[in-house]
Amino acid sequence: MRSRLTGWALGTLTVGFLLYQWMPIATLSLLSFSGPTGGTTFPMNGVSLHWYRELWDASIMNDFKPPLWRSFVLALACSAVTTVLAVTAAQAMRGKFRGHNAFFYLLLLGIMAPGLLVGFGVALMARMLGVEPSWNGTAFLVHVSWTLPFGFMAMLAIFNRFDARIEEAALTLGATRWVAFQRITFPIVLPGIIGAALFGFSLSYDEFARSMFTTGADQTLPLAVLAQMDRQLTPELYAIGTATTVTSFFAILACIGSLALIRRSMRRG
Amino acid sequence: MSTIRIRSPAAYWLAVPAALWMLCAVVVPALLILWVSFWGGRQFSAASPLVLDNYTRFFGNQTYMNLIVQTLIHTATLMAICGVLGYCIAYFLVVKVRNAKLRTALFLAFIIPFWTSALIRAIAWVPFLGTNGVINNALMGLGLIDRPVEVFLYSRTGISMAQVSLYTLMASGPVVYMLAQIPPALREAAMTLKAPPGVVFWRIIFPLTLPGVVIGQVLVFLNVMADFATVATIGGNKIALLANLILNFYEGAQIRAAAVVSVILMACMLIGVVAAMRVVDIRKLGA
Repeated sequence: MRSRLTGWALGTLTVGFLLYQWMPIATLSLLSFSGPTGGTTFPMNGVSLHWYRELWDASIMNDFKPPLWRSFVLALACSAVTTVLAVTAAQAMRGKFRGHNAFFYLLLLGIMAPGLLVGFGVALMARMLGVEPSWNGTAFLVHVSWTLPFGFMAMLAIFNRFDARIEEAALTLGATRWVAFQRITFPIVLPGIIGAALFGFSLSYDEFARSMFTTGADQTLPLAVLAQMDRQLTPELYAIGTATTVTSFFAILACIGSLALIRRSMRRG
Repeated sequence: MSTIRIRSPAAYWLAVPAALWMLCAVVVPALLILWVSFWGGRQFSAASPLVLDNYTRFFGNQTYMNLIVQTLIHTATLMAICGVLGYCIAYFLVVKVRNAKLRTALFLAFIIPFWTSALIRAIAWVPFLGTNGVINNALMGLGLIDRPVEVFLYSRTGISMAQVSLYTLMASGPVVYMLAQIPPALREAAMTLKAPPGVVFWRIIFPLTLPGVVIGQVLVFLNVMADFATVATIGGNKIALLANLILNFYEGAQIRAAAVVSVILMACMLIGVVAAMRVVDIRKLGA
């Protein structure tokens, strides 16, 4: 009886929190469709796509298309580098080389270190080396230091669940280590790698703390949003927020899909 | 036997690119910040003499001292709220929900917002908090207040409200992980031996989840200490915490002062993480 009561109490709390968590996102999306005379809060003054159109034919001052393009390219590059380095790093961990514990903590540091400080340090480094901060230079360096550890952890988890006996069988049958990796290991963990790549993409795409001091004059999308936030809050920002969130949802769906795929292929194997 | 030989040179070389990248992008920059924080003079030059002036100036200013205390209090508050809330939610999801589909659905509803932009989520709180915002309108509609209250936007209350929604998952996730590892037979054994539910929880379940609680607290601590964006978005220019100070100093071209604050922030975080490691061994989590 008492346990039932705690169940109800905790359930109410959980559902309450979920509402609390989702309500701002829902409101943001709703307000992004407000009429041309709508403001940044209710009433909406009609329903329209006005703010999305405004976003599309923006003036040079607050044109979000170039930042969007930069963020997209940067995230793509980060995702590619992350995937390659995460797979090699996780494969290296399986080899338990000397100092692999220190190596693990080095990567963990990338997750723990506050983004603003990492960006600040890299900005100092660039200045000492006489390099101008840029979105495709210094910002790229910093972003990968953020996405790589997550990709690495994901690959470690995937290799942990991986049935090494399949590899053993291939090696016993005379495959070289490289061939066994290419033909056996890689295809089996591939959905996991795709998941890690998508995760890396979205981490870089949404990152702003690390970009703060390392991006230079040509801003990425989150920085442009922050700058606009500083000038004035408009429903256009809500439109961007909604569009970004919807994009994230698709990335998450793809991520979950690839994880479901790997679980199934591992069960079969 | 696997596709990589134990302790082979290949394993070592495969690790080198990632290690070099992390060293260049995280370790060296952190050391540079430490170095610059001791620079004397006014030029940006590696030949600057090393002095303690930057620190004495910072610690000599009462305003900055207050800011450190406020930041720590704010962070501790968030840790407490997110910790309790996160534990309750984790306990409900893992122990109380019996239906696997419902559990997955609730868990996804819990975790999905975490994968979207934290900046957008912070901005999403703004229409809620203003004097003309959703909360004020709702309270007035219910007749609880007759004038808009201004405690939400540009205040620490509003910042905390948004941060609770952003960081509760971090406190909860590791607890979910630990709770899911506890075999149900353990609880049944305790019940059979006539332990009342409270005793089962405090003497068996809670100690077993303690590592998860500590990891969650560390995550909330690190993120709240470093969060400048939520503070700037919701606090406007009226509220600043330690991380915002770094931003202000940097934009004011006071590199040395920014470095000093950064070092203090790093020191706080390091102390926090080391203290947490004394309570639990993080490495045991993965095992």
